Amino acid sequence: MTHSVRILVVDDEQHVRSSLAAWFREDGYDVTVAGSGREALQALARDGADILLVDIKMPGMDGLELQRKARELAPDATVIIMTAYASVETAVEALKDGAYDYVVKPFDPEAVSRLVRKAAERYTLMRENRALRERLESAAPVMITAGTGAMGEVLELVEQVAPTDTSVLITGESGTGKEQLARLIHTKSNRRFGAFAVVNCGALAEGVLESELFGHERGAFTGAVARHRGKIELANEGTLFLDEIGDVPAKVQVDLLRVLQERIVTRVGGNTPVQVDFRLVTATHRDLEAEVTAERFRDDFYFRINVFRIQLPPLRERPDDVPLLAQHFLAHYARQMNRRIDGFSEDALGALCAYPWPGNVRELQNAIERAVVVCRGSQIEAGHFPFAAGPREEDLTLERVEESHVRRMLAASGFNVTRAARLLGIDRVTLYNKMKKYGITKP
Amino acid sequence: MKVRLLVLGESPPGLAESVARSLPWPFTGGSVESGGALVEHCYDRHRAQVDASRLVTLLEPPPPGWTALGVTGHDLFMPPLAYVFGVSELAGRRGVVSWARLRPEVEEPLPSPHLLQRLTVEAVHELGHTVGLIHCVVPDCAMHRSLFAEAVDLKLPEYCPACTDMLRASLGG
Repeated sequence: MTHSVRILVVDDEQHVRSSLAAWFREDGYDVTVAGSGREALQALARDGADILLVDIKMPGMDGLELQRKARELAPDATVIIMTAYASVETAVEALKDGAYDYVVKPFDPEAVSRLVRKAAERYTLMRENRALRERLESAAPVMITAGTGAMGEVLELVEQVAPTDTSVLITGESGTGKEQLARLIHTKSNRRFGAFAVVNCGALAEGVLESELFGHERGAFTGAVARHRGKIELANEGTLFLDEIGDVPAKVQVDLLRVLQERIVTRVGGNTPVQVDFRLVTATHRDLEAEVTAERFRDDFYFRINVFRIQLPPLRERPDDVPLLAQHFLAHYARQMNRRIDGFSEDALGALCAYPWPGNVRELQNAIERAVVVCRGSQIEAGHFPFAAGPREEDLTLERVEESHVRRMLAASGFNVTRAARLLGIDRVTLYNKMKKYGITKP
Repeated sequence: MKVRLLVLGESPPGLAESVARSLPWPFTGGSVESGGALVEHCYDRHRAQVDASRLVTLLEPPPPGWTALGVTGHDLFMPPLAYVFGVSELAGRRGVVSWARLRPEVEEPLPSPHLLQRLTVEAVHELGHTVGLIHCVVPDCAMHRSLFAEAVDLKLPEYCPACTDMLRASLGG
């Protein structure tokens, strides 16, 4: 039986600790022991634990107090209380306080084995559940593209490189969807059932970035109250995506280079090497070759990450993708905001396709989100986009102002003519006439 | 790997010898000896049981190439567990096994074939621990954990292929 479940036995009696440790080690559990509540909290902070077997009566911090404090360090840990007949009432109190169950000393070996097995199964299910949820959340939304032109070539490159373990460098302007492409590579790779760990290297100070990447041991620096596993460790058997790799400080480049060469990581403040097996995907909006020439980026590190390069074209060079992406984001935000919006008017689509999108897909996404917020009708209109606000009102003729206002009121009333007429302060016949005059038809 | 079987306390004649003859690979050869009065040092009169973990620590560490297993008719406990069939030092080459709770419900003259079968299975189980094996999920493997006597009847006095492979790897054979 091999379990990765970690049990922490807490009892002030040495022979109880050693007996239970021996008993559960024979089942393949990873067992640590503590002789007091204080020692238990230290062990929890240092090594963590999935199941805590806690004696309720201990000098100093008792089992109840330990249970409460342990919850802060290991909120997912399952606590089983060990008690004598005399303290069953206290055990019941522990149950009310969140303990999983209790056992009365001396234990029936069958009962305690079954209880721990159930707790271990519960823990395993919780862990699997969390992993599945995280995987679902990080599941790659497919690249929304017509697959024509430069994007067709990109998709072809993805198909070629994804099943290999080759390091990929994705370049492209900000907002072109580099992380989406990295996720696509991950989901098409043999590592798709492993984690997809993301680090935005440009957003973190050097010390924080080191800790995020390599992890740290308890006490490695002020505030390091518990051991922390870095993203490199978490990416084991999966993919490590380092966004804004061009912003990584020189010292961290050296450390990363060593990890890439040796596939071994050592947590900050620690000296235990941990074997890691991950696929590296990096991205940057910078011109890394220029950065190397300017000696702001190490050439050996650059050569290591630039094994297979994919250049993502800006959105202005893939006009076929704009309507598809717009429709995708519209469906997403309409569902999120519970709005019934069917699509875009012709003007709106025209405005979307004519705009150069300097902020690329991210700007398009934001524009659609804003349009869904301000839209009161069943269609997104050009006027819902800030970039397509058109000429200032003072430059318009009275007719244009009237047409625009009629359209807006109709949209706001969900094309209910009676309601729109009331909003406009005119009768229905007048409104019908104006709709005819301006060629407005119900969508 | 040779086995020193130590008879701890009174025992039906020939019981330990029969167990010794039935041990599977890698436990071939060894000796059956009297363990003297070791159990008396670990006997808890209040519980009328023998402290198993203490008893194991009193066994003389065996020489290289040997493992030691105490065999007793005393009921064993290991606080806080109310009873155990046996206890071993994982990979420590010392262990102890008891037949007190392995006796069939229908009384038969000792050593009955049924008791001998159960005791042999649990001896093989504890010997497995003494050389580093942990519990096994295969129901009829001797290394499967049994928590009551009838469950021992579902096991064979031998190791499953996976446990055998592990033994082979750890013993370098």
